Amino acid sequence: MNAEFRIIGHPQPQVEGPDKVSGRAIYTHDFMLPGMLFGAILRSPHPHAKIRSVEVSGALAMPGVVTAISGTDFPDLMYINAGPAFADRYAMARDKVRFVGEEVAAVAAETLAQAMAALAAIKVDYEVLPPALDMSAALRANAPEIHQKPKFQRNVAQVSVATFGEVEQGFDDAAHVFDATFEHGAVAPICLETNGVVASFDSERGDLSIWAPSQAPFFVRKELAHVFEMPLEQVHIRSVVIGGGFGGKSQSPEPIAIAAQLAMKAGKPVKILLNRQEEFLSGKSDHGKKMRVRSAVAADGTILARHTEFWVDNGAYTHMGPAYISGVRQRTCNLYRVGAAGFDGTLVYTNKVSGGSYRGMGAPQIIWAIESQIDEIAERLGRDKLEYRIAIANRPGDQTPMGWNIGTCALAECLAEAGRRIGWDEKKNDMPPNRGIGFSGMINPSVGVLYPEGNFACVSIDLFEGGRLRVGIQSADCGTSQNTVMAQFVAEELGIDADLIDVLHMDTDETPPDLGSAASRVTFVTGNAAIKTAKTFRAEIKARLARHWQVAEEDIAFKDGVAGYKDDNERRLTLAEIADLEGPFRVEDRHDIDLPRPDPSTGYGHYAATYGFGAQAVEVEIDPDTGHVKVLKVVVVQDIGRVINPLALEGQMHGGIVQGIGMALREELVFDQGAPVNASLITYKAPRIMDTPEIETVFIETNDPTGPYGAKAGGEHSICPTPAAIANAVAHATGARFSKLPITAADVLNARTKDQPLALKSWKRPYNLEVATARAMYPKVLFPGLKKVGAAVGRKRKPKLTYDYVRPDDLTDALRQLAEPDRKSKVIAGGTDLQVGMRQGIYDPDVLVDIADLQELRGIRIDDDHITIGAAVTISEIIEREDLRALHPMLCDGLARIATRQVRNVATIAGDLSQEKRCWFFRSGAQCYKAGGASCPCYAVLGDSRHHSILGAGRCAAPCVADAAPILTVLGATVVIAGISGQRRVALEDFYIWSGETVVKPTEIIHSIEIPRARSDQKQSFEKSAGWDGDFADASVAVNLTWHSGSLSSARISLGAISPLPVRAAQTEKALLQGKLSDADIRAAAELTVHGALPLSGNSYKTHLIANLTERAINTCLRA
Amino acid sequence: MSKTHVTCTVNGEETEFLCDSNQTVLDVLREDLGLTGSKEGCGSGDCGACSVLVDGRLVCSCLMFGSEAEGTSITTIEGIADGENLHPVQSQFLKHAALQCGFCTPGLIVATKALLDANPSPTDEEARYWLAGNLCRCTGYDKIMNAVHAAAAELRGESA
Repeated sequence: MNAEFRIIGHPQPQVEGPDKVSGRAIYTHDFMLPGMLFGAILRSPHPHAKIRSVEVSGALAMPGVVTAISGTDFPDLMYINAGPAFADRYAMARDKVRFVGEEVAAVAAETLAQAMAALAAIKVDYEVLPPALDMSAALRANAPEIHQKPKFQRNVAQVSVATFGEVEQGFDDAAHVFDATFEHGAVAPICLETNGVVASFDSERGDLSIWAPSQAPFFVRKELAHVFEMPLEQVHIRSVVIGGGFGGKSQSPEPIAIAAQLAMKAGKPVKILLNRQEEFLSGKSDHGKKMRVRSAVAADGTILARHTEFWVDNGAYTHMGPAYISGVRQRTCNLYRVGAAGFDGTLVYTNKVSGGSYRGMGAPQIIWAIESQIDEIAERLGRDKLEYRIAIANRPGDQTPMGWNIGTCALAECLAEAGRRIGWDEKKNDMPPNRGIGFSGMINPSVGVLYPEGNFACVSIDLFEGGRLRVGIQSADCGTSQNTVMAQFVAEELGIDADLIDVLHMDTDETPPDLGSAASRVTFVTGNAAIKTAKTFRAEIKARLARHWQVAEEDIAFKDGVAGYKDDNERRLTLAEIADLEGPFRVEDRHDIDLPRPDPSTGYGHYAATYGFGAQAVEVEIDPDTGHVKVLKVVVVQDIGRVINPLALEGQMHGGIVQGIGMALREELVFDQGAPVNASLITYKAPRIMDTPEIETVFIETNDPTGPYGAKAGGEHSICPTPAAIANAVAHATGARFSKLPITAADVLNARTKDQPLALKSWKRPYNLEVATARAMYPKVLFPGLKKVGAAVGRKRKPKLTYDYVRPDDLTDALRQLAEPDRKSKVIAGGTDLQVGMRQGIYDPDVLVDIADLQELRGIRIDDDHITIGAAVTISEIIEREDLRALHPMLCDGLARIATRQVRNVATIAGDLSQEKRCWFFRSGAQCYKAGGASCPCYAVLGDSRHHSILGAGRCAAPCVADAAPILTVLGATVVIAGISGQRRVALEDFYIWSGETVVKPTEIIHSIEIPRARSDQKQSFEKSAGWDGDFADASVAVNLTWHSGSLSSARISLGAISPLPVRAAQTEKALLQGKLSDADIRAAAELTVHGALPLSGNSYKTHLIANLTERAINTCLRA
Repeated sequence: MSKTHVTCTVNGEETEFLCDSNQTVLDVLREDLGLTGSKEGCGSGDCGACSVLVDGRLVCSCLMFGSEAEGTSITTIEGIADGENLHPVQSQFLKHAALQCGFCTPGLIVATKALLDANPSPTDEEARYWLAGNLCRCTGYDKIMNAVHAAAAELRGESA
């Protein structure tokens, strides 16, 4: 708590909070206008193609459709985006598409379902072109040309080269030279609220109104006015509550102009909401990068020079790529004391979704690269890695090679404090095995943006009847509490309570200009403007009352919300009384950061008013069996200038750090054929609540003279050092340094086991020879051939949007429903797979038969010799039965690791067993063997196969990921299946035909699962490795050992998620039954699980994983 | 495609609606009943923003058909407060800044209420396990955990 101020430095809950916690806050998703239509967008299925024609007339003839548009409905103008020199994107594709998901046409209809249905009636004639799907492909001499940009070499959007100081000399003089290359793909912002818009056009006045979750109404307005050739004044951006930004809603998201065009053409308001898959396909991701960092270091550790050669993946269009180029330049030249610095950066077009401005703007990854090298320098020089960092830290008064004048700077103090709080001195020589500690520093300008408009902000204050104030800012609060912080500034300045102040954000009619919420600028720039406007407001009150009272202004005081003339008690007015006297009035003012702009060609020069510094220390623990990295603790120490709102600032720190954990260890968009295959929130691994470490947050207040009450910027700072500190901690724990992000569990396991390959004895399965031969032919012959044939003749999937629903009276009625001829029926119970699968086009029933409540399928019965679980019993019902847990702990504890509370509460035991394949190619719409039939290829052979089978895969490599399958297999369970003519019983081992395919016929219903009761001399254990505990397993194993007269009499072991079927580990079982149970024997037996395996190119880590899990599970049984 | 007539209780009030067979409970709540507090973050049960209680059990309303709601009692975020008085879970979320953008907040509050109804004194691990189905991208979860424990203490009648 700050005693110096009443409101600054004190926790202030969010002004919108009460509406948000009660569900009253109105987001764009919730916003409606009378007569509103619903829009839907047709997207390119190709990464690169010429558009010969787009024909929307078919859609116009569909029910409910009011209008339809394609690219030529827009004026022939491109977005401005990163500036006119970079302009390369139309509001909607015109002559060419350049990524999967690009907007090609759109319709507006009375309902969303009608609009979606109408998309299928739009005919687009494409001439498919060869794509350049990554940077190396795009930079080849004969690469397909994505844009015609004669200024640079083919597929290069920007080149940025400069050296500051004597870089070559530095390398000549160096005692040590360090040279390493680092690479990462793109993460996604993952705002919980997807992009959306409501657009309304008043044709009489020519006014366009937009409600959209934009971080920067300023840009939306500018771009819309530009692409529609409208006066700026006729574009009105309105205020909404925004569900997260993180750079994913900056500039002008494409759906806005599309909805606007539809609204203009339809003469009615139009709403477009992106679904989650569309958000992944077409929303702005981060940029992938490749960075070669070289450091020239003197014997005493001085960094004489640093040079970075780097390539930034721009995606198909230039939005924020130049800012990423700038982000790499800035850290190369300014992080730690560097004698001279240089860079050679290239922005590369690829046929992928465009990069946007994700939190940190490329800084987290270049800092990771630099800080990895700093660790290596310290190691080579024999220096303590924390002491070395403190020695080379930037200090106040420094001028960096790039010309930045460092003002306030507590980097050395931040590092030292982070070290103290993580316990570095106590722990460094006494780390337990598999533990590690890492450090990273950071630097971020407050506030540097590439646009001149970023260095000023305007704020308005209105006084209304009753004495309430309304602060107006055009920036957009995406959840960061910036509106609350603005209220705090004004309240502090005027001496009133913050809750007397309302804040209106975004509205371009009611609030004065401001660039928007980007580059961590609002507290710093707009905050200064808010303080200035509050002073102006106070001066205005004095001027008005001086006129009214006929006294001198300087004799009027305004204190604690009350204006008065000297000590005259008759002439004292509250804000409410002033409003009564003067009527409502408004003041506006503006704050400018008056700096000379850096040299536009080289970037040299003092860039920002001041610079933020900070350090993080991270402790991790590695699971040696699975490679999982658990972040135990993060200490963040931030030189923040001044804390304005500790609640909000800690929130910014925590949120950025947890996003940084994702970036370091889990998150990445995985592309195949140009499209992300993990375009869902289950396959894209954003951190969940159990991934959060202990976070200790410390602020150092340097009271910066340029900041509002001394504050520096803060929004992006927290994510910047996190990946670096984690990577350094992982290197400390494992001795392995990774040159790519994320550092996945598979990467760690691969690094640990690279010198100890397991004997796979692939020849033990003769079929493997055939499979291996086919795989060898995949790249050149089979994949391209099958892809082409499959596209032409393969079975097409169609999302199932309409179907009937029936609720049968009893099981007999349900079976009768299924047997009805001339229609496809499917049972639904929990529906967690079925509903999603219908949208993915995997299931296409005409009728859903709801069996969830059928009494015959319900209930858990425990008899003397066996247990019967009804097929429609939910996972939660099973795991909550304490009497069942007492008998079969592995069953209850294992099933408790399925999915989430919400899913377990409806998902059934039979549904878990019967769920379709989870292969991400199959699920993301690939025309693969299992989706399209025999004429189609398996995408896992050449694609990212980290989750696929290592054993028994043939034409399809999807594994069986039902957690219940290996558990029930080793328990000797039987599936009871009901048909019209009676019941049949199938042992679980005979239940599967293939991953997601069972012996249950379409006319049958699973009735129940029977499990023999456990005997007292049985020991059971289940192990699972997955992204997080509830996720689909990458490998799992269930072990059930029985003793008779003191010796092992039966061993049942079943392996999950490594094969299309749950497989018994017969050789391992046999080895155990020989009775030798030393640690070495158990390890040897566990390694037998992989005999006959034939991993794909990306999943050999699973051989070690399954062997390790098997060893662990057996040991658990033996020790129990 | 036929419409199904459904009678159920929503936030204590008897409610009837006609729904298409492909409409989810979330669609019905948001489009037909005007209860827009429950959010759609994914539409596939992965994020928990649409969490509601159905007969006291926490479910994703995006994964339940409107037709399946017949005879049930549904509680949404709009039914958590007692009139204008916020529920302790709501007020502690507010006080502890357990929300930023607020889009995941209704689901998290409903999930937390369900947790504390079932387990008035959850350990940290129990609370995290229960809330694993609710994604939040803003807060880093730390302040959510503070709010959950503070709400639990308040509901147990302990002074915060």
